[in-house]
Amino acid sequence: MKPLHLNLASRPYRDYRPVYAAVVVMSLLAAFLMFYNVETYYRYTHDTRNTRAKIAELEAQTQQERQREQMVQQRIKGLDLARLGAQTKFVNAKLAERAFSWSTLLDELESVLGDDVRLMSVTPSFSPEGDIKLSLNFVSKSGDGMIRTINRMHADPQFRNPFPNTQTATDGGGYSFDIIVQYVPPPMSGGVRLSEAPR
Amino acid sequence: MIWKEKRVLLIVLTLVLAANTIFFFTYRVQYQSRLNSLDDRQSQVQGELDQASTARVRAEQTFASYRKVENDVLLVFDEHWSTQHDRFTKMFAEVTRLAIASSLEPSSYSFAKRDAKRIAGGVRGGTLGVTEVRISFGVQGTYEQVRRLINLLELSRQFIIIEGIALTAADEQTLSLDLRLKTIFRDDPNQDAAQKQL
Repeated sequence: MKPLHLNLASRPYRDYRPVYAAVVVMSLLAAFLMFYNVETYYRYTHDTRNTRAKIAELEAQTQQERQREQMVQQRIKGLDLARLGAQTKFVNAKLAERAFSWSTLLDELESVLGDDVRLMSVTPSFSPEGDIKLSLNFVSKSGDGMIRTINRMHADPQFRNPFPNTQTATDGGGYSFDIIVQYVPPPMSGGVRLSEAPR
Repeated sequence: MIWKEKRVLLIVLTLVLAANTIFFFTYRVQYQSRLNSLDDRQSQVQGELDQASTARVRAEQTFASYRKVENDVLLVFDEHWSTQHDRFTKMFAEVTRLAIASSLEPSSYSFAKRDAKRIAGGVRGGTLGVTEVRISFGVQGTYEQVRRLINLLELSRQFIIIEGIALTAADEQTLSLDLRLKTIFRDDPNQDAAQKQL
């Protein structure tokens, strides 16, 4: 007797179990990773909330500081710095001239002049660096008056680099000579000075 | 055949899995390094803030020092030098008074004015806003009288600069002193404006 094979399927039967197994495994793995990732994301945002807020605050402060600096720079640009610098130099030069003590200078000159040498004229000049140069004219009865005056100036710390300009014999038998010398006033007679504008 | 039939589902699942895997390895595994980099970013921003603050403070200090210099210059211009209109007669009266106080009597005075435009260093139209006035005179007296006059001029409250002196012997006891004085006056802005209008 021939066995009876019944096939009740409407279409050919296929074994989908490997596919479903793969889908299940992949879904579980994806679900596990997704859960882990979401948890990580929330933990990260929670843990770093303070730090991120602090960074935002610092950035805002930095922006404010830069704006304030820009405002100050604009105000500095509004100043006429070239004119201010020139005025400061001019004022300082004139204050130095005003503070220059002629009494002290004459005392110093008296101490370096010999008995037969007389001072005829003094003209100081002031350099922007504060150096004082004296143009001095003397008359002496003897021919070595100029040499002795220069030697005495060399010995006095208030005078530096004395250098003769001219020496001429006068009608009366004496000599007239000019000396240019750098003068360093004693520290007490310094005077007032304005601070220079920053560059 | 069966894989092909379910390929859409499989591709979607593969993509979801791949995305989560990538996220896992770049986010979860490097979690600590991300925290560190955030800390580094905070330090960097703090550094930028410190730099900006330092620059701002420096700019403010620079501005303040400019203002101080400006005020100091203005003080000298206004209070010590003043305008020729306000101070010239007072200054000349002071010189005359000091000469008399030293028992010296100048027979003549000469005056000269130098415009600030000719002063070296002038900017913005070549003017510093000041004028130099020179007074020259000669006197005769003893050396002590000459020294006294020089000393009184130095101590005067008026802004008087002794520019130069020249001495000659008049006789045994008497010296002839030629004195060159100088003073500074601030330009009068009202007068300048009036001159410009003319």
